Amino acid sequence: MIGTSSALIGAVVLLVLILAWIRADSTSRRLPSTLDGWLPDHGDAVEVCPPEFVSQIFSGQDLAFISRLESPDLKRHFLRERSAVALLWVQQTSAAIRRIMRRHLEASRLSKDIEFAMEARIFLQYAQLRLICGVLFPLIGLAGPQKLHGIALYADSLTQRIGNVLREFESAAGTREMDGA
Amino acid sequence: MSATVRLVPVQEVYDDLLNRTLSRISCDLGRLIYLASTRDYNTGNYYHEGLASRFSPEVARKALEMAHRQAFYKVSGFSLEGLASELEAYLRSTRENPQEFLRTWQKLEPYRIAIPTEVNLTVARLFTSNLRLALAILRSRQEPGQPHR
Repeated sequence: MIGTSSALIGAVVLLVLILAWIRADSTSRRLPSTLDGWLPDHGDAVEVCPPEFVSQIFSGQDLAFISRLESPDLKRHFLRERSAVALLWVQQTSAAIRRIMRRHLEASRLSKDIEFAMEARIFLQYAQLRLICGVLFPLIGLAGPQKLHGIALYADSLTQRIGNVLREFESAAGTREMDGA
Repeated sequence: MSATVRLVPVQEVYDDLLNRTLSRISCDLGRLIYLASTRDYNTGNYYHEGLASRFSPEVARKALEMAHRQAFYKVSGFSLEGLASELEAYLRSTRENPQEFLRTWQKLEPYRIAIPTEVNLTVARLFTSNLRLALAILRSRQEPGQPHR
């Protein structure tokens, strides 16, 4: 009996998550049209969102202000707009980290002395970040960005950390190559 | 005749722009709109007559680009409440009819051209999203009881 109800609850939770994912996915598919694709090309230097803006996107300050205005219409408008920005951030972070990892794999292939421990650490951080982005995607639609402030800041700090580690790796590899030449 | 070439750092030109021109504009949103207007729509290059003649077109261009990006990040970092106040101050400074101004801005979204060329995509989206919301807030104050999008 307990087994059947647990399975039922599990199935409902799974269904809710799938529906939330589909909703988030369809919102994010609409993002290019809201951005209109007119924004200019984005190189590596501008691909990661500055941390203060990540904090702002997921903060509850603006929601508190909107709530004080006591307009359900404005509140709905705000929640929709802010969720779209948060989803875009998740999408951008995910894409940025994939690009960084691809670049790292290319550099690793050319490198002669690879440290296994370091590679494993980078991979674990990468996997953790991908998992967080995957979880954030449906949760933004379900709970709203304001309730995910902590997890978003953690994901952002992890992105910065991976970026720094890989930068160090690349500069060390560059130094070794120059020494070897 | 001897020509003396003086290399002026961009920071010096930027400070000049800040002190002579931008300080006369009363709000940050106004400064951002002004700086965006110094950019050529076709080439994306910045030009300011006074700066170009006092220094050099190239250094002036760099200083304007730098000032534009900084003004953009400053305005994008405002809370929604802060941005609504900024927009209200900018609206007052234009001396246009508030209702007409708000309707036009909601329809044409002219603030989109205030986004510099190389900025983070998420911040750019946050900027346009917050401005849309700030416009809806001001309209709700002007015309209570109406839908404002």
